[in-house]
Amino acid sequence: MGYPIWDLAIGGSLLMALVAIPHVIVSHFAIGGGLLIALTETLAVKRGDPELRGLAKRSSLMLILVSTVFGAISGVGIWVVAGLVSPGAISALIHTYVWGWAIEWVFFVLEIVAALVYYTTWDKISKGAHLLVGWLYFVAAYLSLVIINGIITFMLTPGRWLETGAFWDGFFNPTYWPSLALRTGLCLMMAAAFMVFPAMRAAAAHRVRLVRYLGWWFAAGALVSYAGYRWWEAALPDSVHALFRGATPKLATLAATRHFALWSLATALALAVIILLLRPRLARPVTAAVLAVAAFAFFGGYERLREGVRKPFLIHSHMFSNGLRVAEIADVNQRGVLAAAGWAGQAAAADPADTGRQVFRAQCASCHTLDGYQSIRKALPSVADALAVAADDPAGSGARAYREQCTACHPDVSYQDMKGMLPSADEIRGDPGMIRDLNQGMIAAAVVKLRAMGEVYLAADRTTMIDTSPLHSPYMPPLVGTEEEAEALVAYLASLADGREPRMAMKGGE
Amino acid sequence: MNPNLIPALDPAGLPGPPWLFHVLLVFTFFLHMLFMNLTLGGTLLAAVAHFGGGGRREDPRGALAGRLMAVNSYGISLTITTGIAPLLFIQVLYQPYFYTATILIAGAWLAMLLLLTLGYYSAYVYKFRGAPARGEGGGLWLVASAVMFLLIAMVHVAVHLLHSQPERWADFASGAACVLTDPTYFPRLLHFVLAGIGFAGLVAAWWAVRQARAGAEVELNTAIASYTWKWVLWATVLQVVDGFVLLLLLPRPLLIGFMQGGAATMIPLTLAILLGIGLLVMIARVTNPVASPGVVSGTLWAMVLTIAVMSITRHQLRVLSLAPATTLSEPVVAPQWFNFSLWVVLLLAGLATVGCMVRRVLTSPASGADAA
Repeated sequence: MGYPIWDLAIGGSLLMALVAIPHVIVSHFAIGGGLLIALTETLAVKRGDPELRGLAKRSSLMLILVSTVFGAISGVGIWVVAGLVSPGAISALIHTYVWGWAIEWVFFVLEIVAALVYYTTWDKISKGAHLLVGWLYFVAAYLSLVIINGIITFMLTPGRWLETGAFWDGFFNPTYWPSLALRTGLCLMMAAAFMVFPAMRAAAAHRVRLVRYLGWWFAAGALVSYAGYRWWEAALPDSVHALFRGATPKLATLAATRHFALWSLATALALAVIILLLRPRLARPVTAAVLAVAAFAFFGGYERLREGVRKPFLIHSHMFSNGLRVAEIADVNQRGVLAAAGWAGQAAAADPADTGRQVFRAQCASCHTLDGYQSIRKALPSVADALAVAADDPAGSGARAYREQCTACHPDVSYQDMKGMLPSADEIRGDPGMIRDLNQGMIAAAVVKLRAMGEVYLAADRTTMIDTSPLHSPYMPPLVGTEEEAEALVAYLASLADGREPRMAMKGGE
Repeated sequence: MNPNLIPALDPAGLPGPPWLFHVLLVFTFFLHMLFMNLTLGGTLLAAVAHFGGGGRREDPRGALAGRLMAVNSYGISLTITTGIAPLLFIQVLYQPYFYTATILIAGAWLAMLLLLTLGYYSAYVYKFRGAPARGEGGGLWLVASAVMFLLIAMVHVAVHLLHSQPERWADFASGAACVLTDPTYFPRLLHFVLAGIGFAGLVAAWWAVRQARAGAEVELNTAIASYTWKWVLWATVLQVVDGFVLLLLLPRPLLIGFMQGGAATMIPLTLAILLGIGLLVMIARVTNPVASPGVVSGTLWAMVLTIAVMSITRHQLRVLSLAPATTLSEPVVAPQWFNFSLWVVLLLAGLATVGCMVRRVLTSPASGADAA
């Protein structure tokens, strides 16, 4: 928490997604491509099949241009972005797993050198030597996945590491093997999806055969991915399931993401069967692009889900998404969050009127922007919201506004009951300060609940994964700091909502 | 210095003794420098040579540009790959300083990714669509690539200065761009740029001399060797001058720290100065590189050694500069010796595999139907 805070309009999590999702797509292609290209060349040599050889050769150029360039840069990019938006988390991961990353780097060096040698030596060295290079590339690339998979899965299910703090306990955690299976399937899907494009450049007489060949790999990848996904879900603890599974998931958006991901996978498999296996002549750049997009959608959906179900943690039960460690809660409550967050504290000391904003930056800004992604302003109650509910003009709009703006915090109060409790529209117009006070009270009540969550975390057994599902906001970190800081935060948040238009109007109305 | 602005050390501690990470950081940084010099200096030199040769491949300078960028299309990958290790170890060792510095210039640090992507693909476009493939043209792609890499160097120098001067963070907080006004900023940048040009030129000259001595395109290779040798000479002259300017501009406490460091700091610094001057003498003595292949090879090895020694001196400067802050709190050390040993074994196995692979490739030439 002690780092400077980068005020990023689009929000840190969105920036990370923009860098990480293209990276994982490309990096999985780089691994699966390694397998399919080496295998394709091996078959080409055994069968004396120049068309298969051509497919391997054309694909290897794509492998170089996409994976060694974009893959390498975006891989570094993940570190760069993590260091900017979550320095505490990336520091914790690196200090725990530096040797894991160093091992992955060894495989990465081998992978890159082999890729460059493989592409450069077409037509120049013996078939056996070239095949050796190709297979070395694949082995190195896959081993890099074997390593990084341990670190990624550790963040969601640290397993016995929470108790022992031992490297290998965290590495071979409960979702390690399911995730590896899932990602292996994804590698095949990504590779086949990319290689369809060079396959379409083959001579017309051989195009159908090559496309169908890739179709089998795509279908196999999709099935392995599905099995891996189900295994992954089964390996998650019930407390995580509660966030996105069941009749009343705590995070409805994640439940929707799960449906989206699985339907995308089903669509991708169906498209692959039709376009690549049953009617390969339908394989055109457009249809291949649609197939690739469906596969990417599943992958992106899964990654979003994996990140989402980790909420409110960056490392489950160890570090929250704002860099606060569970073990720090008592200390920060005593010292104050601005004492722990030196840069924000410095700014608040220079301008005491800015204290609330600095508390927000230190604790909330890692997930909430002011007006962009996960806008805090839109999440706050305003005078305009109350007016929209009370006025109900035109008829029915009040109920809609209530549904949109209020039920998240008042799920047990009906619209009619709320309208009965609220002053009339004219009264609100005449004395908006009354509603401002009311809103500030609501914000204060929410802050109290968020602070109370800290006590639950303090009392929790930190040697196992903490069950967040019974909490008031299971997807949010607790609010920490002193009473004065909490009051300053409430005043700041209340000031943000002043003058805001109703949320429906901000969306363009109905 | 405001200690409140220095983030706390990671409670997980160092997974090995600090000296180990100092050694690994310096060694991997040195490896990165070799490829970085080729990328930055090679692209700059290629751009100058391309336009000097009228943008035509037939001109020796055009051919030089093509050669340098042929190397760079792989060298850039290896620059990134070798850059990952020092990036990893600096985060372990200097986490509070490094992350703070990058956040202070977050926009520029993030833009580095875009610059790198554009610079890399521009280099490929020049290779496949410019003079090397079509006989002429494509110079603008080369310039674009060189500018991108130069901007990346500027970002890195800024991050280095920011992370090693926590006592100035309060000033930087209001606008980190003022790091550009640090008196050592441009001499440092120039030190990297000149090293890059000198090293890339020397590698190109060394290769041309080898080719010429083997009887391959003797006239062309002789012209390339002579041309690049002049660049190596003048880059080294300026480098020695810039090195002394940089030394004089260093804050006085740092210079005193160096003097008081005894043999540990004075030997690398003295060696670096002597090597720099020695390089200058070696280069100046050669008028026809093709006629002096031994001196050319010796100069190349001496420059590699100079880069290694300078990497040590640069790191020692950082250690001294950060000493007032780093002595405030000692890191917890929780060694993971098994994991370190596993890494060493895999590193050796990996390097051996690379060696075997390259050897197998070099001993398996084939053509026609026998080729892959």
